[in-house]
Order: sequence, then C-alpha cells, then structure tokens
Amino acid sequence: MKNPYEVLGIREGASEEEIKKAYRELVKKYHPDQYRDNPLSKLAEEKLAEINEAYDYLMKNVSSGGNSQYSGGASYGRSGADGWSDSGSDFFNQVKSHINSGNIRLAEEMLDSSRSRPAEWYYLKGIIFIRKGWYNEAYTHIQRAVNMDPANYEYRSALDRMNTSYNAYRTNPFNSGRYRSEPDLCTICQCLWCSDCCCECMGSDLISCC
Amino acid sequence: MFGYIVPEKPEMKIKEYELFRAYYCGVCRAIGRRCGQLKRLTLSYDTTFLAVLLSAASGEKVQVMKKRCALHPLEKRHVISGSSAVDYASDINIILAYYNLEDKKRDKDSPVSASALVLLKGAFRRLRRKYPEKCRIMEQRLDELVRLEKQQCPSMDMAAEPFARLMEEITAYEPLCTGKDTEKILRWLGYNLGKWIYLLDAFDDLETDIKRGNYNPFVCQFGYTGQDVDEFRNEIREKAGFTLFYTLSEIARAFELLEAKINRGILENIIYIGMLRKTENILGIRRCGEVEESV
Repeated sequence: MKNPYEVLGIREGASEEEIKKAYRELVKKYHPDQYRDNPLSKLAEEKLAEINEAYDYLMKNVSSGGNSQYSGGASYGRSGADGWSDSGSDFFNQVKSHINSGNIRLAEEMLDSSRSRPAEWYYLKGIIFIRKGWYNEAYTHIQRAVNMDPANYEYRSALDRMNTSYNAYRTNPFNSGRYRSEPDLCTICQCLWCSDCCCECMGSDLISCC
Repeated sequence: MFGYIVPEKPEMKIKEYELFRAYYCGVCRAIGRRCGQLKRLTLSYDTTFLAVLLSAASGEKVQVMKKRCALHPLEKRHVISGSSAVDYASDINIILAYYNLEDKKRDKDSPVSASALVLLKGAFRRLRRKYPEKCRIMEQRLDELVRLEKQQCPSMDMAAEPFARLMEEITAYEPLCTGKDTEKILRWLGYNLGKWIYLLDAFDDLETDIKRGNYNPFVCQFGYTGQDVDEFRNEIREKAGFTLFYTLSEIARAFELLEAKINRGILENIIYIGMLRKTENILGIRRCGEVEESV
C-alpha cells in the first residue's frame, strides 16, 4: 500500500478535519460519474479505490476516538460505474455490453448495420462518439435521442453530463482570476488621494507633499 | 508549430515560471546540440509543454544548470539538462517543423519555406531513421488530413481526427512511459490535445480561409452561405466552444490520472488556465473579469 498521506495529498500528521476535506475533494474529482463514457474510466476506478483505502486506513489509525462511523464513507462512489438500465431490446443490450467492455469498434459496426433507428440507436451512437472523442457528433446524436423520447431519463442524464463536464472545466477553481480582482494602480492612487483628503478635513495629513 | 499551448504567466509562481523557462531553454539547447544551431529558430511553446509533460510522466530526475546562451549573451539562464523528455521534445520539434514547411510548400511555392526545407532536410532524415515507426504513423495521418481536406470533409470531428491521432502518437512515447497505464493516459491526453489545436486553429483562421477559399472544418460543418464572417462566427461560437471546452475538460481528466510527481504546478497552470483563456480569446468571449477591468 502506498503512503496514505501521499495518496490524499496531505502532509503527514494532518488533522482529521484536513483528511476528511482532502478525501471529499478527491472523491469528487475521481467519482465514476466524472469518468463515465471515458476510455480511462477503469483507471479512475482504481485511483478511487486507492483513495478509499488510504482514507479508511487513516481514519482507523489516526483518530483513536469515534472513528467507527467514518469507515462507512468508503462506499462513496463505488456503485454506478456500469449504470446501464436493463430495459430495451437484446440487440441494444449487446451493443451496450460491447461499449462496457471497451470494444468500441464492434459496438459501432453493430449499430451501423442496423436498419431501424429509434431513440436508443441515437443515444448509443452518441455514447460511442463520446468514447471516440467526437464531441460535436456525440452531442448532436444524444440531443436527437432526447428529442425523440423526452421522457427517457437515461438520455437526458447523458446530455446533462456533457453540459456539466463542459461547465465544470470552464469554472474550474484554478481559474478564479485572482490577480484580476486585485486593485490596479489607478484605484490605489484614488484611494490614497481620498484618504488624504479625508485626513486633511479632520485636520491631519496622510501624504504631506499634497 | 502553432504556439497555442502557453502558460498564464500572471497566475504562475515565480519558481514555476523559472522552471518553465528552464525547460524552454533546455529544448532550445537540445535542438542546437543535436541538430545544429540554426535549427533552434524552429522552437515552439507546444514542444516545451511536451517536454514538461513527459518529464513529469516519466518521473525522471532533472538537473537545472545555469548557462550562458548565444541568443541572450548578457545573463546566464537556468537550463534543464540531462532529461530524455527534453531531448525527445527537441527531436519532435524538428520533425514537426519539417512537416509544417512541407505542408506550406505544397500549398503554394513559397521560396522561404523551400529554402528552410533544404536546411532541415539533413536533420530530418537522421531523425526519421531514429523514430521510423513514429514518423511512418505521423506521415500516414498527415496524408489522411490532406485527403479529408481535399474532399471538403463535412464533419469537424472527422476532419480533426488525423491531427488528433498524430498528437496522440507524439505524446505517447513508450520509452518515457512508466507503464501501460501511463501510456494509455498520455494517448487520450494527446488525442484531445491534437483535436483542440486543430479546431482552435481552424476557428482562428476562419476569416483567411473563407477569403482564400481554403478548407475550414467549421465552414463545412455549419454550412457557411456567404454571410458576413463576424455574423457566421457569432452563429457557430457556441457549438465550436462546446467542443473546444469539452476537449479541454477531457485533457484535464486525463491529466488528473497521471502520477505527476514534478511540474504539477506548471501543468495545472497551462491546462486549467492558459489553454482555457487562449480558447476564450480566440473564440472572442469576453470574461466578466475583463469587463470589470475596463470600467
């Protein structure tokens, strides 16, 4: 087992609070929902298992009191990796199982050979496009599936996932624009000048030369 | 090459910036040492990113030295030395510069690119012998690209595929991968990187391509019908932006799975800020921050 502190990205001897905070953030980052329809999903699962293991270990060993409730936290994100619903025809189920096992080419060949094209066809074709990295086609196909069958939760949630992923990147915490929110030289001068005026009104002086 | 992959300097720590510059100088010197001094002029930021990324992925130990350089004779600069990632990136830099010139020459007979080609020929031949498999695949991808563009490929995803595959091949350099998993991550990262570069460049060149009648994937995908270029840009901005940002989000996901022991800060800066802002600039999206600033 790797050093659990290293896995969670915290210094050794971190407090329980810090461990929990780091753990929560990492679970969010590597959650199966984040890596659904992604060719790297297996690796993300392994990473999450490693994080869970490190967290369990630390919670058992670091905090001596009241830790029994935290071991349950390990169940975070261990379900739902293969979240296909079982409805639908055998044909589409077969395509789904090919997608799940990573055999994208075979799944695509099967779909392309099919004459009938219901909403599910467009949905699965869209999922294949995401896996291939063809995001414009993917969005168009899944959108079409949603339009054909607006009541279907699975199609809609796939579309939502694409939108969420796009938005999450654009508003990522690294890009908070810290340096932009700092005052520029003009604002600083204005502040100084105002403070100076105020001081002078009160009979004192902040900047003696003006 | 394109120079889209740049760090956002104001958001960098000084030590990260210095290290990034050391990689830049390292690649530059490696080109000079391995291929001749004149070839250093082909240096691009994109290959510096490659060096930083592969250096982190391989977990190699790097050395930083202070050296004087012919281009900046007055002060000694930090330079990365003894890094196989830097050496590989410098080779790729020459290969890409050569392909790029060949492509330009094919477009129209420009005397500048023709003479530059002659200068690069020797170094390129040597590198082609050194990386026969990589070069074969890259040339195959470039042929596909030319063919798709000639056919006026109507799908932007399909048009971007060869270049994405080319970058995938470049990014996943097996001797620098610590295992099969690392290679898989780098392949997906490289694929999306190539896709982003190709499409961003296409959006950037929209106006010139329309004027000159060159192929542009957005023109074919969204059916340009001779309206004003700005108007067309406004129409397609959202769709083009969706693919570009989605591609970046996949790059970020792949990066998060990479065990990057060094250079983490630099890579985070480039992937999460530098590339995002570059995309916003080229798409012409004004950010709230900038509006505040101008008031």
